[in-house]
Amino acid sequence: MQTRWDVGEPIKPTLNTETEQLKSELLTLNMGPQHPATHGVLRIEIWTDSEIVAHAIPHIGYLHRCMEKHSENIDFRGVIPFVDRLDYLASMNMEWTYAMTIEKMLGTEVPRRAELLRIMTCELQRIASHLMAFGTYAIDLGAFSPFLYAFDYREKILRFFEEVSGARLLYNYIWIGGLWNDWNDDQIARVSAFCNDMEEETKKYHELLSMNKIFIARTANVGVMSVQDCLDFGATGPILRGAGMKWDLRKNAPYSLYNEFDFDVPVGGVDGVGQAGDCWNRYIVRMKEVVESIKIIRQVIEKLEPGSIMGKVPKVMKLPEGEVYVRAECPRGELAFHLVTKADEKMPYRLKVKSPCFAHTSMLPRVAPGQMIADFVATVGSIDIVLGEIDR
Amino acid sequence: MHKELSDLINRNVSGANAVAYLTADSKKFDSSITVDASHILKVIEFLKSNKETSFNSLHCISGVDYMDHMEVCYMLTNYDPTAVRDVTVKVKVTDRVSPAVDSIVNVFAAANFLEREVFDMFGIKFNNHPDLRRILCPDDWQGFPLRKDYVAQKDYNGMTVYPDNKMNMEDREFIVRQDMIKKAQAAKAQ
Repeated sequence: MQTRWDVGEPIKPTLNTETEQLKSELLTLNMGPQHPATHGVLRIEIWTDSEIVAHAIPHIGYLHRCMEKHSENIDFRGVIPFVDRLDYLASMNMEWTYAMTIEKMLGTEVPRRAELLRIMTCELQRIASHLMAFGTYAIDLGAFSPFLYAFDYREKILRFFEEVSGARLLYNYIWIGGLWNDWNDDQIARVSAFCNDMEEETKKYHELLSMNKIFIARTANVGVMSVQDCLDFGATGPILRGAGMKWDLRKNAPYSLYNEFDFDVPVGGVDGVGQAGDCWNRYIVRMKEVVESIKIIRQVIEKLEPGSIMGKVPKVMKLPEGEVYVRAECPRGELAFHLVTKADEKMPYRLKVKSPCFAHTSMLPRVAPGQMIADFVATVGSIDIVLGEIDR
Repeated sequence: MHKELSDLINRNVSGANAVAYLTADSKKFDSSITVDASHILKVIEFLKSNKETSFNSLHCISGVDYMDHMEVCYMLTNYDPTAVRDVTVKVKVTDRVSPAVDSIVNVFAAANFLEREVFDMFGIKFNNHPDLRRILCPDDWQGFPLRKDYVAQKDYNGMTVYPDNKMNMEDREFIVRQDMIKKAQAAKAQ
């Protein structure tokens, strides 16, 4: 008998043909907005035929805070705390992308030390974000202990950030032109030690969850998103890589100093578990990215030299008229800002946020039909949704 | 690149009127291509299917309100590991009362949610969209928030929007209004 964790064709549940004549209508079920498996305030209306999902309609907007409208009334520096609150699990990456957008227009040259420290903080943030994904995904599938392991190490990263920025989650740390505060040698040494611990810890995670028989049974060959689906729906990040496409903006179109670093781009479908594009492969891509981030952080620490952390930026920031579209690789995918400015205005004329999870949420109606409800929960968990970023 | 691309579009899609807007400083700003609003579906279809260009993914749809006209910007990208290519294709919409553009959902499935967002925020209707509803605002919300002339409704389902006793208007309006308030106070004091 073929077991679910064998490599092979996915087992697709079919609608019950025997009772199909009896069935008169589908049952409508609301998942969320307070359902713990939706990671926030996402409501998914699912039409079910007994245990099988026939149709899923995501309803978003419960966390809509008009961030784009607000930012049209604030000066360029003042927008940074707002972008923090987009993806609150990866605030550093949000700030960095926004800072890059403004710096591109200003033509600011960011000092080398600041760029290196930005890479280091953002890679630490990527680890923290992926640990959160790891822990909460395990909870979605009914395993509680990985969550505790993950939060132990996530907390260590947040402690670093608290030391340098004064805040645990919403930092306002990466400023236009550089950084707010410098890291001292003691902190850098502790980051180095943390990298060693973290690398050991990831092995524990693999034993604990990745190769767990029940976990594989729940996730392998479930919620398959092919490369073509990903391209059609504009999916990026771990979703696209999990489907087997070797695409990482840090590697393919290096921004900042990423071209100086040596790291791999993990893809799904190479471990012999499940198939490319299923929940397990999306999950394992994240876990492998943690190791790649550690590699990058170690190289940053080697390259670090004393120097300035703030570039030359005008005191009253007025941008020339024009528009830019800047993309960056964030833990959940490609974040982009579309910024339109008017001459002699201190505020953005229009700031559009392209959020990666927004595209991923729109994929749910594609993958849901034919899944069991429990598998659908696994699928939603595997795309690692943060509603702050979807609803803006 | 934008010049050649707009020529290519003009050659293959008749009536598209593609005009390349090239910035003086390409390091700082992005160039774009503006096409006729009635031909956007054909242009996007062409850019996707054509072998020379083959933009295989829609990254984003953004809207901008310039008061005299509105713009819908389609950010297309090519996931080609050797050379990353992006292009911004724009259409101008001058009608503010009932603006409409053809939907591109049949070309890129990603456009479904993105077009719904533009509709929600700017009120631009997308013809032949399978499910054109508001996406971020409630279904019965009035007005289109990201238009520059938007004024929030006073009353929503019996609830007051921005109640005076709960809102600190000075804080809410941030810097712009703060400056004006300060000037008004200074004028009063004199």
